[in-house]
Amino acid sequence: MSSTNELQHFNGFSVGDDLPELIEAVDQNMIDAYADASGDVNPLHIDPEFAKTTIFGGTIAHGLLTLAFVSRVLSAWNWQGWAYGGELDIVFLGPVRPGDTVRVCAKIDAIEQREDGVYARCSLACYCGEKAVVKGTVISKI
Amino acid sequence: MSDFVTYASLVEGDEFLSPPVRFEVNQHVVDRYINATNDTTVELQKVDAQGDRIAPPMLAAVYVIDALRTRVGPPGGIHAKQRFKLHRPAKIGETLYTSATVLKLYERKGRIYVEMTTETKNQTGELITSGLITRIWGKE
Repeated sequence: MSSTNELQHFNGFSVGDDLPELIEAVDQNMIDAYADASGDVNPLHIDPEFAKTTIFGGTIAHGLLTLAFVSRVLSAWNWQGWAYGGELDIVFLGPVRPGDTVRVCAKIDAIEQREDGVYARCSLACYCGEKAVVKGTVISKI
Repeated sequence: MSDFVTYASLVEGDEFLSPPVRFEVNQHVVDRYINATNDTTVELQKVDAQGDRIAPPMLAAVYVIDALRTRVGPPGGIHAKQRFKLHRPAKIGETLYTSATVLKLYERKGRIYVEMTTETKNQTGELITSGLITRIWGKE
């Protein structure tokens, strides 16, 4: 059975700390490049004529492109803890469209002492303007 | 016969990808991903103590979705939720194998949901990534 013990501070990290924010403009070229890199060539992402016929009314970015931005934030903040044992649990709430600017925000909600180390549990949200497009939690060893 | 996987054919507990789907992590794949996502993470430009170059952790989104795309559902499906546990980043030169298991099938508010667990290991069986994907199934 695992046990956790909550801390307020550890190793320079504190509950309530904001992670560095990332702001990234998304355009059709970036979406096309992600489609090419990932092999996900669903026409909803890359074919404006097809995308017009869908409920979105136009192309949208791959949800996983937004997660790539999340990973950049966590890699810059705490590479070792994120890349080696990091956890992510998110919900996609809405589309990112060409011309949108995505803002990735995260904050330490809890610091947990577990049997195998100390972990930061962070709330995460990605916004386009005021609208949240991704929300969830990330966990990283600190 | 439909050219996509039907909801009726899915059974909780079944292997969805059998055998696991292979993915080669090569320089070209990694460079394209880094360029497409504007990833300037310093660690991705280095080689580790063993002389290996590592891939961005979220390349997981590429090799897992690439595997799941080998058995697609009907058009119009939406990726609703995602969990990943990143055990370690993949390295250039590794061969990955992704398996998936149908975890849960349910309907809510007129939508059909399919949850699958995924597991990606390298050529020696070392666990690289595990995950849980929730998709809203397209209309058949």
